[in-house]
Amino acid sequence: MNGKARAFKNFYCAAEGRHMLSVNNVSAGYNGSDVIKGVSFDLDRGENLSIIGPNGCGKTTLLRTIANMLPFKGEITLGGKSTRKMKHREIAVKIALLSQITGIYFSYSVYDTVMMGRYLHVKDRLLGLPSDEDKKNVMRCLEAVDLVAEKDRDITKLSGGQLQRVFLARTLAQEPDIILLDEPTNHLDLRYQIELVEYLKQWASNGSRAVIGVLHDINLALRLSGNLMIIKDGCVRAHGRSSDIMTGGLLEETYDVDVAGYMRESLKRWEGVN
Amino acid sequence: MKKKLLIAICAAFVVLMFGIALGSVYIPPGDILSVITHSVFGAALPEGFRAATVSIVWNLRIPRALLAFIAGGALSVSGAVMQSVLRNPLASSYTIGVSSGASLGACIVILYGVTLPLIGAFTLPFMGFAFGLGTILLAIAFAARMDRGMENNTIILAGMVFSLFVNAVTTLMTALTREHMQRLIFWQMGSFSMMGWSAVLILAPVALAGALLVTHYNRELDMMTFGEEQAKSMGVNLKRVKWVLLVTAAMLTGSTIAFAGVIGFVDLVAPHIVRRLFGSSHRLVIPMSAVFGGAFMVICDLAARTLIPPNELPVGAVTALIGAPFFAYIYFKRAKA
Repeated sequence: MNGKARAFKNFYCAAEGRHMLSVNNVSAGYNGSDVIKGVSFDLDRGENLSIIGPNGCGKTTLLRTIANMLPFKGEITLGGKSTRKMKHREIAVKIALLSQITGIYFSYSVYDTVMMGRYLHVKDRLLGLPSDEDKKNVMRCLEAVDLVAEKDRDITKLSGGQLQRVFLARTLAQEPDIILLDEPTNHLDLRYQIELVEYLKQWASNGSRAVIGVLHDINLALRLSGNLMIIKDGCVRAHGRSSDIMTGGLLEETYDVDVAGYMRESLKRWEGVN
Repeated sequence: MKKKLLIAICAAFVVLMFGIALGSVYIPPGDILSVITHSVFGAALPEGFRAATVSIVWNLRIPRALLAFIAGGALSVSGAVMQSVLRNPLASSYTIGVSSGASLGACIVILYGVTLPLIGAFTLPFMGFAFGLGTILLAIAFAARMDRGMENNTIILAGMVFSLFVNAVTTLMTALTREHMQRLIFWQMGSFSMMGWSAVLILAPVALAGALLVTHYNRELDMMTFGEEQAKSMGVNLKRVKWVLLVTAAMLTGSTIAFAGVIGFVDLVAPHIVRRLFGSSHRLVIPMSAVFGGAFMVICDLAARTLIPPNELPVGAVTALIGAPFFAYIYFKRAKA
């Protein structure tokens, strides 16, 4: 789909009130107290969104709510349909969550781990044996993250960067429309951080998909998308094109530190580097 | 991999054969086969075949070895499920209260001489099963109420709270009526003696159904080892699957305890060893745990009745006596390499 056709489609969907994802006045939290309060935003196909904000502001809670992990107040719709009227598997087939790596206790091969992403697509309901198509899909995902040569290796023996690529491949194998990133770049070195973001941008650029990324690193967040949301204390402080909304004052107020000053100072340090 | 599987299954058959052949009287495998063909297909026995041999093999040895095999298999499958679902290598049905509950049930039957109508002689196993399963269900229901997401730690803690409470009740009841203490303690130690075919015929279908149901959920089990959030994000209906698996695992342990008493350790160890040998994929871990745990239990029972004749050792103690060093060997040898 070329740019014009995409723009037309987005306009058409928006006019019908059928955004790919629509979050309306959503509040959610744990044990009865709300961590996010009245969050609203829309996301259309081909559009990415970066969410930034200080620790504990509710970024992760927002992602978990969108991924149907938490009970919430308000309404979330996918393609115009309320998620409350959908089964969990109907939501999960559209939305995948890629989190930071947690402890791995059991050893699986890289291939088997990526195959788990096919869970909702495998047709054999009795034992869950994958079809040829599932196998081909997994190989394509392994190719995409450059892990074909490692496919038989034990995931407990991989480096952090390799492991994160395995999980990316598993997320891709789910064939979702929307990928939610919950600080997946933690513990990754710079090269993999950039590669991950660039890969996902490319993935979403076919016009029918979208990525919502919670990234600690503001530069990385801006690299993922110019579409920025700033959250503080569970509320949306600002949302829009980063060029329109991002000011030194707003960032300082959000993070309680002179972010712009810090960035300029960092930049100066690079001036003499060849 | 296929070769490994074949070897494991053949080894299990050999072990089962040993379990039947060895004992106070040695019975050669040829005679065992004669008895089986005679009893099952009505084939004629060789001339001069002793009737006592038929009786020993068919009425004592075979049901006992089969029962041990089924019990070991059921316990191991249950342990594999608990470890993966609760994502804790030390979790088992015992951790969340099934043995405490079963002991209380047995205690009530033994102390008060309760006999339920219709099932008569099976009152003891039935009450053990019902109380064991009841305790776990209460613990899980309590955990679900306290924490809507049913986090693993909540379940383990709730199970331990219930388990300790029920244990205290049992201890109080036994302390007040000491004359029955011996019978209760013996029941708690576990044994496969004097069970016969009826126990096999009841336990076998339960164990088979449970193991098949769990195997059906092999992919969900795989995904749950990565944590609940990841499993859910891949589309697993976590709450339902978790309920089904926990209850099935509790049922497997509960029904085994009911017939054989409290036998520990095998459910903890067998799945770990199987994962070392065959990898973590539950499509293999579940059936292989059944095979391995079954064979292991047959060996333990063999040791229990032949090591210090004519005394019979409690099989529950033997599992740990043989299992602990074996476990340490397999686990740490691989860890080093």
